[in-house]
Amino acid sequence: MAKRNKLEIIQNILKIIQENHNSIKPTPLLRQSNISTARFKDYFNDLIKKKFIRETGHKGNKYISLTEKGFKFLEKYKTIINFIDEFEL
Amino acid sequence: MPPRIMQQFAMQSFSTEIIYSFVIIFCSLIIYYGTKELYELSSHKGIKYFRQAFLFFALAYFFRSFIKLIVFYFNAQGILSISPRLFNPLISQVTLIFFIYFSAMAVLYLLYSVMWKKWNGNDKKVYLFHLLAFAISLFIVLSGNALAYLGVNILLFFIVLFVVYTSYKNKKKAKGHKHNLYIIYLLLSFFWIINIIDILIPSFFQNFQLLIYLASAAIFFIMVYKVLKKAGSS
Repeated sequence: MAKRNKLEIIQNILKIIQENHNSIKPTPLLRQSNISTARFKDYFNDLIKKKFIRETGHKGNKYISLTEKGFKFLEKYKTIINFIDEFEL
Repeated sequence: MPPRIMQQFAMQSFSTEIIYSFVIIFCSLIIYYGTKELYELSSHKGIKYFRQAFLFFALAYFFRSFIKLIVFYFNAQGILSISPRLFNPLISQVTLIFFIYFSAMAVLYLLYSVMWKKWNGNDKKVYLFHLLAFAISLFIVLSGNALAYLGVNILLFFIVLFVVYTSYKNKKKAKGHKHNLYIIYLLLSFFWIINIIDILIPSFFQNFQLLIYLASAAIFFIMVYKVLKKAGSS
């Protein structure tokens, strides 16, 4: 399997959340995203910072869901990839 | 030629110049704002440098039209040949520094947008480009030598040519199909240099000026069309 790039990993994580009725606990998300815990933490913090996802609930019962920006990313993902490919960026 | 006809001719060529600059600035800003959403969502460095290139093209053309306005107003041959008694030479020099700086940065950003991955791209290299562009502009203006500037830009064009050709060959090997985008990038850089010569040595392309403007505008229109089509902007 080819190495996934950053955008692909982000898309994978967001897609998992979306496919779980936009609500998933961190542990199953980490498992399904198929990346190391350390890398997952980096991506997770990055996605929170960029406001693609949000955390709801209290300690031990946390859920992660997509924000409007997260949905927008998924909607535009193919366009972004095509654009990068077309202009050799 | 009678002075009245000459004045009319100058006015006409100045109007053409303003329309041309407006078209290029407009196209560049469409590309810049048309890709805003894609960059905000992806934070992709290539998209960032690509957008910056067109922002700098817009800025460079703004200063270019300002230079043309000054030259037209004082009925001079070039901006550096205006008498210091008529116009403060410091304003001319600063405008020219801005023009050269923004134009060099536009080409460097375009180059970097394609090459950042291969050059292990980071924003620190961009600071080097800024420094280089500023040094070039300062050197040219202080030396007052238009031919030196021409030489620097021809060198820059050959670097673009080399990089684009190498990248094109690698891609062709990898994907097995042609990428006409490389030709557009080359034409963009080529017409950019012709535009620079036009500013510094106005008599150089006097007979082909309209043709050059039309060709440059066509390249920018193709870019706008391709960008809007791929970015999905309306």
